[in-house]
Amino acid sequence: MVKIKWMFLASLAILLTAAFLLPVSAQAEKKLYVGGTQSLTGPFAEDSAAVLAAIEDYVKYVNETKNLAPWRQEKFPADITLEVMWRDDELKPPKALSIYEELKAKGMLVGRISGSPIALALKDRLWEDQMGATSMATGPYYLSPPQSCFTYYPIYTDSLASIADWFKANWKEARKPKVAYLTADNAMGRSIEIPEMKAYLQKIGYEFVGTQYVPLVPTSPPTTQLTWLKQKGVDLALGVMINPGSQPTVKEMVRLGIGPNQPYKMTFGVPAPGHAAVFAAAMGELGDGYVCAGSFRPMDDLATPGIKFCSDLQDKYRPGKRVTHIMYEAGILEAMIQVEALRLAMKKVPFEKLTPRDVLVHGFYQIKNLPTGDISSTPLTYGKGDIEGVDEIRIDQVQKGKSVTVGIFPVRHIFTKK
Amino acid sequence: MGLRTGTFHENYAQDMAIFHSGLQWGIAVAFIIFLFACPLFFSDRILTILTTMGIAVISVHGLNILTGYCGQISIGHAGFMAVGGYTSAILCAKLGWPFWVALPCGALAAGIAGLFFGLPSLKIKGFYLIMATIAAQFIIIWTIIQLRSITGGADGLSVPKPAIGSIILSSKTNYFYLVMVFTCLATLLAKNIVRTRAGRAFIAIRDNDLAAEVMGVSLWSYKLQAFFIGCVYAGVAGSLLIHYFSFASTDQFPFMDSVWYLGMLIVGGMGSTTGAIFGAVALKLLDELVTMVGPILSAAVAPQAAASLALISHGLIIIIFLIFEPRGLHHRWEIIKAYFRLWPFSHQEIE
Repeated sequence: MVKIKWMFLASLAILLTAAFLLPVSAQAEKKLYVGGTQSLTGPFAEDSAAVLAAIEDYVKYVNETKNLAPWRQEKFPADITLEVMWRDDELKPPKALSIYEELKAKGMLVGRISGSPIALALKDRLWEDQMGATSMATGPYYLSPPQSCFTYYPIYTDSLASIADWFKANWKEARKPKVAYLTADNAMGRSIEIPEMKAYLQKIGYEFVGTQYVPLVPTSPPTTQLTWLKQKGVDLALGVMINPGSQPTVKEMVRLGIGPNQPYKMTFGVPAPGHAAVFAAAMGELGDGYVCAGSFRPMDDLATPGIKFCSDLQDKYRPGKRVTHIMYEAGILEAMIQVEALRLAMKKVPFEKLTPRDVLVHGFYQIKNLPTGDISSTPLTYGKGDIEGVDEIRIDQVQKGKSVTVGIFPVRHIFTKK
Repeated sequence: MGLRTGTFHENYAQDMAIFHSGLQWGIAVAFIIFLFACPLFFSDRILTILTTMGIAVISVHGLNILTGYCGQISIGHAGFMAVGGYTSAILCAKLGWPFWVALPCGALAAGIAGLFFGLPSLKIKGFYLIMATIAAQFIIIWTIIQLRSITGGADGLSVPKPAIGSIILSSKTNYFYLVMVFTCLATLLAKNIVRTRAGRAFIAIRDNDLAAEVMGVSLWSYKLQAFFIGCVYAGVAGSLLIHYFSFASTDQFPFMDSVWYLGMLIVGGMGSTTGAIFGAVALKLLDELVTMVGPILSAAVAPQAAASLALISHGLIIIIFLIFEPRGLHHRWEIIKAYFRLWPFSHQEIE
């Protein structure tokens, strides 16, 4: 009897699992999904959690008010409800694949990329299905066709090119400045090692010295790498790092007397994942001189309309549980892009007939000068072959423990040679 | 070996047969028919899950031969999968070789890598061998990243879809069939390997290597054979995985996957072909269940509640199995079968 009971329970568990796995039938109400795959487990967990929170808040805002942002006049269709649909892919490509299939089967018309490994796994599949996606990763792999993934800050190589432009503009000595890569030892960090990047640096008058790698999250201070840079006489070190990588690196730089305000003068610049606002808040004056291109503004910069909007959303939808992570801004941007793509597509194709291809062609490709309240460096513009969104890159530097904007440079499109 | 009431074996061949009765044959055939009919009634998503499950089963079969039967614990299995996958990817993408030639080459390359990294097993065992295989995982991935001109380095490598003649296996259904054919063949082969002289030698080494050596089993030869065979399986799985994504990237072979493959073996039951299947299916299903439960939990409890849920649940399941059912799901399955073997009489009357 006991065994039969156990067998019954096991059968019930299998049936429940199967019921979960079976595709959901047609939607009863007019509902559109935004969100997509998230990496809530792994190195991007904190970033992804903040992005997800922002997407949820933005969707609540649009559902309640039908507005798209306080500074915009357009309205979202009144009879359509937005819903956030997401799954945790753990930054594992095979898992992202089954999640993608699930969300697509449930009627999702827009996709999302949560990191470089997921981008590499889903990029071609998204194109096969003609589905547009927003992306938290911005590697050069997006710039070679097919292109249906859209970023909201420049790809890493363009960001670094803008730092090189800025540094060169401020270079006073007669000799050529020496540049080297000091970058994370993973797909994201190594994605800058393309011939076009090196060629651009040499073209604008740099002497390229070489490359040093630091683990994405260093387990020991990168003393050897920094000493190598010093011995080679490097003036500018460029790399792609997240804050858990750049902070210990800069601490070690200071200990070794390396930095713009240190005995050995060297500037260290990274693109957006190493946001200057986060860096400044954590490092204070110890991080002075650190440069970030395409960084988001600090979350307390309430004079910026987009940041004020982020703050208001949090006041309303998560009182007492505010998300202070800067990637909340990224989540708002992603939600804005996805919702705008859906809205534009519905202007051409009725809701009932909407397909992922419609949203890509009549939605994403038609986004022109989307105002983001200055969260992104410039308003966002997409099109066929134009996936970077911004046209200019803001450069921030940590000065006296604060993130200060020191310049804005045009996107060079060095990879696409646009 | 338990037999259904009234069934007797009269010779060695019957004893060693994989299927002992018409009913078992019938069940196996029905299962295969059901498996190959799946695309008729399952969605793309379930086919994707089943395809990755099939690939995992092939990989775990390899690990089972190496660890479950021969007792050589390896936590570098994902690394060997990477060798097979990348070899196949390079041959297809760079040299234009057909998939059908590239796949066996990938398997062979993984097997040779297995032989190389299996050499320490001749001198060390247990914890020390585990450390050596972990090193293998990291050395392989590091090498792939460094050989940028060949492998694409951290950026990865685009791989063409496999094709049979003019038929390109680009649809999920086509690829599902391909993987299932390999899974069935891998299972049959694994079952047969264990019944060979080598299989019996593996078991002897696992149970007591000194005794095995005294009996004339060449540890040197059989340990390396186990590494070779286990890694050939890994190579096939890696090749199938990479061609499924049409992209080769080291991110597809993380260290944690090597740990989870061992976890699958623990959950399924080491030293059993059926256990390898059970383990791979169980942990993959758990993975999917956790993925679906995550958003619900997040909405009900807190946004962070879903974070790392898969890692926690996997770890927990492995601990539970180690404590309460160290022989794995395979043992449970044997108990269920034993119950039905005596059905409809749960107790035999002894006069």
